[in-house]
Amino acid sequence: MANPLISELKRAFTGWFIPYRFNLERWAYALQRISGIAVTGYFLAHIVETGNVVGGLTAWSPTSTAMASDVWAATFRFLDNPLFDTGLIVIGFMLSFHTINGIRLTLTEFGLLQGKPSRPDFPYEPKSFSKAQRALFWVSILFAAGTAVYAFHVLFGA
Amino acid sequence: MLLHYVTGLGIVVVGFVHLFTIFLTGSYLQNLSFYGGPYSVLAVYRNLILVSTLELLLLFVDYHALNGIRVILIEFHQGTTWERGVSWILTVAGILLLIYGTRTILLANLLV
Repeated sequence: MANPLISELKRAFTGWFIPYRFNLERWAYALQRISGIAVTGYFLAHIVETGNVVGGLTAWSPTSTAMASDVWAATFRFLDNPLFDTGLIVIGFMLSFHTINGIRLTLTEFGLLQGKPSRPDFPYEPKSFSKAQRALFWVSILFAAGTAVYAFHVLFGA
Repeated sequence: MLLHYVTGLGIVVVGFVHLFTIFLTGSYLQNLSFYGGPYSVLAVYRNLILVSTLELLLLFVDYHALNGIRVILIEFHQGTTWERGVSWILTVAGILLLIYGTRTILLANLLV
């Protein structure tokens, strides 16, 4: 029999990926979490990558500048391939989306742009996801797309 | 959770400085090389103001990322043991990452 904790975590996680029949706010929620995890992955890799330049886990005293320069250049060559570049474009999209949508969520946290509370009427549109909030969500998508285009230009352009 | 929002806004500021020095101050190829120019890797690490923003960025992202993972995991499953376990493991992981990242910054300053 499967571990009940594991199966519950699995069910909770896959719940993110079936946001059909949910509204835009739910899509924003799923994307914010997925982009957060993606950027966290980048952060961890970046800490390891920069740590390696000064000698990694085995270095207990400052190494030479020449050696650090060599490791930096070698890292660059190793990562300079279309697969990694495509990954970076996705990370750029995720980071930009997470930034602007995060600002929207900060405004929400402090009760700004929320709309006035009113009687719930059919078709029960959430008042919390006001026009301004929707606009900010689409701004975050646009900003993210712009970042992806810029990243494409940097990584695959002349 | 207030700290999550504070660090988030902090990342917007110091993260902008980090990306600005690389992409918006002339050639990014120059800025991504190890030596030369005011914004190359070594130059940034030896500039007290810029290296301070890097350390702040490390601190903010470290807290924001691991607290974010904590929030996600706590939302997935409720229970005191789960919540305490997740919080402790991620706190320790965050402190270790902060130490390792700070060590990178210090060693980069002391390269001989």
